[in-house]
Amino acid sequence: MTITPAELATAPVVAGLFATEAGRAHLIGSRCLGCGTLYFPQAISCRNPHCHDKTIEQTALPNRGILYSFTVQRYRPPPLFQMDDWQPYAIGVVDLGQGLHVMGMLTDIALDEIAIGMAMQLTLEPLINDSQRGSIITYKFKPETLA
Amino acid sequence: MTRPVYVLGAGAHPWGKWPEKSQLQLALDAMNAAIADAALSWSDIQALVAASSRFEGGMGWGLHANEVVQAVAEQGIACVNVGGACAAGAIAFQTAYSMVASGQCDVAAAMGAERMPKGFIPRPPGSPDDVTDPDYLRWIAMGATNPVYWAIEAQRRMHDFGTSAETLARASVMMRRNAVGNVNARFRKESTIEEVFASPMVCDPLHLLEICPVSDGAAALVLGTAEYAQRSGHRIIEVAGCAIATGQFGDPARRIPTVSSQVRPDVPHTSEVVTAVQRACTMAGIGPEDIDLLEMADNSSWHLLAWPELFGFLEPGQGDWMLNNGKLDIGGTLPVNPSGGFLSFGEATTAQAVLQICELAWQLRGDATGHQVPDAKVAMSAVLGLGANGASVILKA
Repeated sequence: MTITPAELATAPVVAGLFATEAGRAHLIGSRCLGCGTLYFPQAISCRNPHCHDKTIEQTALPNRGILYSFTVQRYRPPPLFQMDDWQPYAIGVVDLGQGLHVMGMLTDIALDEIAIGMAMQLTLEPLINDSQRGSIITYKFKPETLA
Repeated sequence: MTRPVYVLGAGAHPWGKWPEKSQLQLALDAMNAAIADAALSWSDIQALVAASSRFEGGMGWGLHANEVVQAVAEQGIACVNVGGACAAGAIAFQTAYSMVASGQCDVAAAMGAERMPKGFIPRPPGSPDDVTDPDYLRWIAMGATNPVYWAIEAQRRMHDFGTSAETLARASVMMRRNAVGNVNARFRKESTIEEVFASPMVCDPLHLLEICPVSDGAAALVLGTAEYAQRSGHRIIEVAGCAIATGQFGDPARRIPTVSSQVRPDVPHTSEVVTAVQRACTMAGIGPEDIDLLEMADNSSWHLLAWPELFGFLEPGQGDWMLNNGKLDIGGTLPVNPSGGFLSFGEATTAQAVLQICELAWQLRGDATGHQVPDAKVAMSAVLGLGANGASVILKA
């Protein structure tokens, strides 16, 4: 099978996690048609015990939010996590609204400049550039830039 | 109709790294100690409930109770093996309690034994490598180790309540100080705030000495009726409250191994443990003011500040003042983890909650040599396990 450069550039770390539409990245989640609850990643059912509909559909999640909290991963995680040129990096929780808090790596900011309450936006970045598999992309959050 | 249940005996194998001993041997040592403490023999044990380990033994199927009786007493008794990850020991206790309370048997034992692999606890087998498994996503998409989850909570606490790095470090120092006199603890040397700060940063703001390591250990309890309790020769210790629970929708906790939370107002943080604590209090007919000591899961120094507040024992943010003024010490108004806690033991996952309850029994009997809470009459345990498992036990002297 031939892999085109375009495909190389968009190989996700796992399928079904995020997508790009009209140049804008978003996370793929689920929305309950019964109670409106948002889930990430995609859910098999609505978890709200007071919701009796529980019909869910795939949805594009909001791609901006507020940094709720964060930490810096100072030790290299077990080998299931792969990253070129490993060095300590930040992981944060971003409040995307409607009660949904999502964890992800933080980027485009110095580790000592991260602050709770910052406006963040979703971005896609390679974890690995591999001659066999191409670029493996994950989602991250970066400080919001005005479009 | 249920009948009262009593702790007849408690036993543990000291926590540490025991490469020369099998998990089965650790389990037998703890069981034999608990049975001897109850002044009984194996032939008196009518049921055995084990917390199933996923790391070693149990014939690969988590059949740890079966393995123990096949090794030491093939006498036809009921063996139950329960899951519940780090809360499994308390769920095993709750099951043994129910067997005696319901009248199914007069004497039942609960045990947990564990030998842990080194380092960060890896992803368990059995789930697909795709978007449906959060424990795959958290590793492959962001490399989020367990301390990441605790650190994110600690960082937010610093933001919300102004908790200082010194206060977080002092929580760890308190645990090491409590462990000095406890022969079952693994780390028994006093530490200082400076030593905590000098230990490597693992996940900001948590240093290595502020997160629990992993250890090998085993603990067991023998439960029985009033008649057996009177014969044991010990001070009578009743199981006053005993409850298990799972999480509630809308819980704001960063729950391992998920990568998101659905946060709803008025839902308690770490709801699985809060619910279990409330149920145990209701069952015992007591409130926080009646508790003389608390043994709780201190996976990090943050837990020691936050959990007593989550349970309603303290106001939100009050944990810092309580800790800094010695109120959580062995001689304080709310002694927390007189044993030294997970920070001084290292977690032996499924055995840990059994050990917590052993500690409650020893404290109430006045047998907690070297770390005794004076005049303790009512003691509570609280533990959290993967899968949103919470459990809490209240013993009364």
